Amino acid sequence: MTALLEVRDLVKRFPVKRGLIVERTVDYVEAVAGVSFDIEAGKTLGLVGESGSGKSTTGFCVLQLLRPTSGSVRFDGQELTELEGEELRRVRRDAQIVFQDPYSSLDPRMTVGNIVSEPLVVHKVGSRRDRQVRVRELLDVVGFDPTYVNRYPHEFSGGQRQRIGIARALALSPRLIVCDEPVSALDVSIQAQIINLLKDLQREFNLAYLFIAHDLAVVRSVSDRIAVMHRGHIVETGPANEVYERPKEDYTKALLAAVPVPDPARMRERKSERRRLRDVVAT
Amino acid sequence: MSATPLLEVRDLATHFFTREGVVRAVDGVSFSVDRGRTLGLVGESGSGKSVTALSIIGLIPQPPARIVGGEVVFDGRDLTTLSERELEDVRGKRIAMIFQDPMTSLNPTLTIGTQLLETIRRHLHLPKREARRRAIELLDEVGLPNPEARLDDYPHRLSGGMRQRVMIAMAVSCEPDLLIADEPTTALDVTVQAQVLDLLDELRTQHDMAMIVITHDMGVIAEVADEVVVMYAGQIVEQAPVTELFARPEHPYTEALLGALPQLEDDTARTGRLTAIPGRPPDLLDPPEGCRFAARCPYANEFDGCATHMPALRELRPGHMVRSEHPTTERARRKEAAPA
Amino acid sequence: MSSTSSGERTQFPGLRRLKERRYLRLPTPPPPTPTASGDAGAPIRSSSLWRDAWYRYLRNRAAVIAGIAFLALLAYCVIWPIVSPYDPNQVDFSQANDSPSLAHPLGTDQFGRDLFTRTALGGRVSIGIGFAATLVILAIGVTYGAIAGFLGGFVDNALMRFLDALYGLPYLPFAIIILAIFGGGSFWTMVIALSIASWFTTARIVRGQIITLKENDYVRAAHAVGARWLRILARHLLPNTLGVLVIAVFLELPGVILGEAFLSFIGLGISPPDASWGSMAQDGYRAYRVAPHIIIVPSIAIAWLILCANFIADGLRDALDPRTRET
Repeated sequence: MTALLEVRDLVKRFPVKRGLIVERTVDYVEAVAGVSFDIEAGKTLGLVGESGSGKSTTGFCVLQLLRPTSGSVRFDGQELTELEGEELRRVRRDAQIVFQDPYSSLDPRMTVGNIVSEPLVVHKVGSRRDRQVRVRELLDVVGFDPTYVNRYPHEFSGGQRQRIGIARALALSPRLIVCDEPVSALDVSIQAQIINLLKDLQREFNLAYLFIAHDLAVVRSVSDRIAVMHRGHIVETGPANEVYERPKEDYTKALLAAVPVPDPARMRERKSERRRLRDVVAT
Repeated sequence: MSATPLLEVRDLATHFFTREGVVRAVDGVSFSVDRGRTLGLVGESGSGKSVTALSIIGLIPQPPARIVGGEVVFDGRDLTTLSERELEDVRGKRIAMIFQDPMTSLNPTLTIGTQLLETIRRHLHLPKREARRRAIELLDEVGLPNPEARLDDYPHRLSGGMRQRVMIAMAVSCEPDLLIADEPTTALDVTVQAQVLDLLDELRTQHDMAMIVITHDMGVIAEVADEVVVMYAGQIVEQAPVTELFARPEHPYTEALLGALPQLEDDTARTGRLTAIPGRPPDLLDPPEGCRFAARCPYANEFDGCATHMPALRELRPGHMVRSEHPTTERARRKEAAPA
Repeated sequence: MSSTSSGERTQFPGLRRLKERRYLRLPTPPPPTPTASGDAGAPIRSSSLWRDAWYRYLRNRAAVIAGIAFLALLAYCVIWPIVSPYDPNQVDFSQANDSPSLAHPLGTDQFGRDLFTRTALGGRVSIGIGFAATLVILAIGVTYGAIAGFLGGFVDNALMRFLDALYGLPYLPFAIIILAIFGGGSFWTMVIALSIASWFTTARIVRGQIITLKENDYVRAAHAVGARWLRILARHLLPNTLGVLVIAVFLELPGVILGEAFLSFIGLGISPPDASWGSMAQDGYRAYRVAPHIIIVPSIAIAWLILCANFIADGLRDALDPRTRET
């Protein structure tokens, strides 16, 4: 059985331009340098890496929010890189995204209701009444009180706004959601709420997640498989427990050793492990 | 253990006077830091931890904020009574501070050298050549490759980790007795974070500095702190030595916080559930009369007066303070209604 | 549930309730009364962006006074001519060149016409031209800037380089040329002449705003949902530019008013018997030695308007400053 999402040799280059009057392209920055992975329906692939590793860019390229320079993205059998216009728009109903920043991901001039119903409006789903009902259902499912549907985003906290963003992503019943650092900007206690929510929603609606994050502990709690990215390449991939407990690559080992764990007893052991791998990671 | 602590904060209260009312950001906080020890100040956003640190060295913007009560006794002197000029002499020389975002803490229009020398010359009164030599020494000490060349670089040429090292160099340049680090690694990648934490620890032992590390990350606390203070809604809710705190957390908030953390080394993480704390911290504009954690506490109940009576910070065990009517060990003993 | 007429995606999949939306069940007895923000679902602050801006504006004393003075001036220009006992065009040489008095609060001009009434009427024309020209400036500037900012790349580059070239055009001489060609004297020719070379800065500002706004995640989100570019521009980008535009109005207004006054003063403006402040100044300039009030009155009116507009623009900018907006 083919996976829901199949990415092969994905490359994304950004041109570097110079010039006063007319800008010329002098060089390229290769943010994603040939990346391949699969995601099964209803499962989560955790994409981890430090800043500059290209993980967010990969996520955007999968959804064609940035068009890949080369490579293939097959979603449900369809080659997304070849789609445009109406065809691509139709596929967007099945693949959605949740953003990192709860403050800039919601239009400050739109009400919560309008934000969540926008996908329905754009795709002309249902009548006005239907949409209102659907919006209330969605807000309810994500744990946001539907009575506040006519308020504005700035009236709510970061965690609540993230719930609104998730409700918006669910509006068209997608099969895949790209989660781009969805909890990084939240407090620890709120993080836990949102992580639990995402896991519940996954079970409930059989969602596949591409979960992009830099926090290795967070990623472990949601992922079935892990891919570790470094400077545009995937250096290691495998089932989550395998990668976390028996990492093969030095970079993965260094990354794991660097994470501060809330356990003072383990600290000394981890510090010596870190020192051992010091040369693998430059400043 | 030294006789008198280097820094003693007693009942510190800092309030913000805004158009909507008075925000009681820090409401009666007391702790002490001994020479050569690291105090970890942990809490989420709104807990008051940063405001506490800024109040200690008088960097709180005096309107709209004001230190309305308490004392900050540093080496015998109450810092809250000092004038701005006297504070300036203390800042940098005796107490140094590094901030979270290395991008904005360094002036982008001045070279590293200029900024470093400014600090060195102000406090150590060294002639230019001496100061320059000292600057290079420092940059080397913090692990910056090619320190001499770095002096002429502008901040934007350096990575986040390197910039933070420069900040640390500036902070230790005058051999301060106390270093306050406000979320020093939050904006950094995890591998760089580990290096910076190691560096801080090394410097601490070498220069015999005391440190206050402020963070929301319990992992960082476990790494660097000797003593931990947990803050919630402007108050201290628990205080204990680090191993003790992690092994036997007493306050329901601390417990819940530790339970809410995704565990790196837990192989049941994928299928398990994180203990999420429902709700949100209280509005400090109008904090509740009773226990400030009561609205979110699984053990809060009427009988113990949780909503009406503010629990006092009491010493449950030697060295372990808790502000709660339902600390873990007492609950176990009482066999009260446990959460489902 | 219901179905759409297109037949595609007709069912809303049933949404079963999640069993446990509270992730830590609270025990009985019920928890203590939560504070106002203890309820997990309630908004943590209720305010509207506009109301907060309004309050900030009100705290700026100069801006408030300017606002009142501006409105007072507008009211005067609109209402007074209706209730005035004087016919603004009635010539009466017996009363010519009278200084301000009880009967004529601003005096009379060399034709004996009441200046208080004529100034109000002149205000209608001047302010009318001012606002009309400002609106045309906005229309052109916003369209140009939005297209450049939104499309980016080559189009943006081309449009901006063209704009750079246009920047060299001195707007007043250009306006004079236009009036010379098309003949001055009518309301709309004045409006065109004044706006045609004044929209460049507005275009720049709008382009800058659009480019900044484009970086926001909510624009990417709209894109991800499948919204077409027109919707993104109209629903997401332009409404968020509103603040900047309102300020731009009050910044352009003085320039246009002054421009109109100048053109009328040199005789290219509104033709008699209609008057604008500028043409009144031109009338009065010859009689300066004898009856200085004839030129002073419209000049003060112009200055009043310009000062008010500037203070209002300042006040608006501070009130709408995103840096002071709460997160």
